[in-house]
Amino acid sequence: MLAILASVQTYTREVGSTVAGRARSYRETFDEHRFAYLLFMPTLLFIVGLIWLPFLRGVWMSFHAWPLLGGQEWVGLGNYEYLFGWQPFITSLTATLVYAFTTFLQLFTAILAALLLKHQKRFKNLINGTFLLPYTMPPVVTGAIWLYLLNPNVGPVFTALTEFGILDQAIYWATEGTAAMAVVMGVLAWTFWPFMFLIILASLENIPEEHYETARVYGAGRIQQFLKVTLPQLKSAILVAVSIRMVWNLTKISQPLQLTGGGPGYDTSILAILVYRFGWLQGSMGRAFAVGVILLIVTLGFILLFIREFEREAGAGG
Amino acid sequence: MSVRSPGRHLDDIGFEVLRIAALAALLAVIVVPFVYVVSVSFRSPAEFFTAGIYLVPKEPTLEPWVSSFGSLAVPLKNSLLIASGTMIISLIITIPGAYVFGRKEFPGKRIGFYGIVVALMFPYIILVIPLADIWYDFQIHDTIPGMWIAYQTFVAPFAIWILRDFFEKLPTDLEEAARVYGCTQWGAFVRVILPLSAPAIAAVGFLAFLTGWNDYLFSSLLTTGSGVRPSIVVLFNTTTGGERNYWALIMAQTLIVGTPPAVLYMVARRHITNAFAV
Repeated sequence: MLAILASVQTYTREVGSTVAGRARSYRETFDEHRFAYLLFMPTLLFIVGLIWLPFLRGVWMSFHAWPLLGGQEWVGLGNYEYLFGWQPFITSLTATLVYAFTTFLQLFTAILAALLLKHQKRFKNLINGTFLLPYTMPPVVTGAIWLYLLNPNVGPVFTALTEFGILDQAIYWATEGTAAMAVVMGVLAWTFWPFMFLIILASLENIPEEHYETARVYGAGRIQQFLKVTLPQLKSAILVAVSIRMVWNLTKISQPLQLTGGGPGYDTSILAILVYRFGWLQGSMGRAFAVGVILLIVTLGFILLFIREFEREAGAGG
Repeated sequence: MSVRSPGRHLDDIGFEVLRIAALAALLAVIVVPFVYVVSVSFRSPAEFFTAGIYLVPKEPTLEPWVSSFGSLAVPLKNSLLIASGTMIISLIITIPGAYVFGRKEFPGKRIGFYGIVVALMFPYIILVIPLADIWYDFQIHDTIPGMWIAYQTFVAPFAIWILRDFFEKLPTDLEEAARVYGCTQWGAFVRVILPLSAPAIAAVGFLAFLTGWNDYLFSSLLTTGSGVRPSIVVLFNTTTGGERNYWALIMAQTLIVGTPPAVLYMVARRHITNAFAV
């Protein structure tokens, strides 16, 4: 810090001797902080104006009956009371809790793939790129692909399963709650696991080989090496990956919307889809945002729970 | 290593075989759907009523592709404009902010940073409701600049988070050295730090572009069919709408919309992987 100040002083003195006196006094008063604030200003404006203010305004909306067009009316906690007494909301909430486990499906695939690929010598780069393919495409694109592949009438998956005699007939999953949920979670995992894979492989490659050598000297087998060396070293990567993906999985609704539209009934209407249904199909902004606030709480709850459990596990294992 | 027993060696071979088998299975799960979809996109309507699974189309036709390009021409242009603008604006607003968070000390830094990290955790669907309301008021609903700004809600926190991390890891005395050679603070930032940060900036730029190209929710809610509707919304409407019979057409559209981001991703891959190292 002192060194910077010293160099600023020598610098301004040199400039001052060559440029006019006005410029000199300007430069002398130009302090460190003002520069930082100037650069921070655009970011601050966007974050406050685009994220925090709309968010707070939305929370405010959730205490009103707020139709898309027309006057709004203060209803206090009315929207929240309504939701908890409304059966489809409970269905949605349960669906959200089930749906959240797609994150761990993605995590499991990502760790497995990263471990499999780590010692690959030939074509490593090519395989790595291929793994990323589903994630590189828009979710609506991969959703459309699976909508065709899993189409019960013409899609190849059920054609193959019935032809080989594994199934008697195609499953019309879109009309059956559990099957619809399984399809949505599966497609979501197929699309998004490479995001976690990116983060986890990058960390895995950074673990020094000596750690494993030491573990082997002490007689650790493969499973023990994984539990005692790999997993603790991947901790921060897993925390970051799960937190981000959890938020995104619960809010990026284009795929479930495309695959099932939230149906049958409300069986795959996760909270984010309920927000969409209230906000856009019914124009009831207050209720939509009440669901949104509950979704935020559920999301943060998941993340905190995960961090706590993970810290405890890692503490006991390491 | 020379003391390794033969049993251990056999075990290693077994493990290696298992590893390669698992890797191949995983690859198949990813590659087979894409290959099959490419094949489907060249089929004529009649083929969808014939049973069986086969890879080479019986009467290959380019018709689905020609007709898809026709119907997607304008939406693709909209997508390109929206995605490029989103990228440029996100870089302009996040680079300076991330720089001061990574390399400067100033009062209010902590709270500012938490404000951004918490924003990263917001389920962004809940922002689109108040935003749509504001967009109508400001009359930027259904305009391309409106989309540029709207996507910053989603891109900016993530971009700052990645960039800050990169700026922070650069050697601490870079600016001092630049100042000794006569750079201003601004000069040190623009001439020294920015060129060194090209990889992280490229990664963030690509991610912003992809968000602008890939996102369905914002574009469907903030644009209309007669306005600046991007290709992703057109594709969504085709797959969920009534014309589900001619799958070759839908699959051709799918591949057209999906290829540009996939190609970009592959080009920028190394940078993106580095930016993700935690």
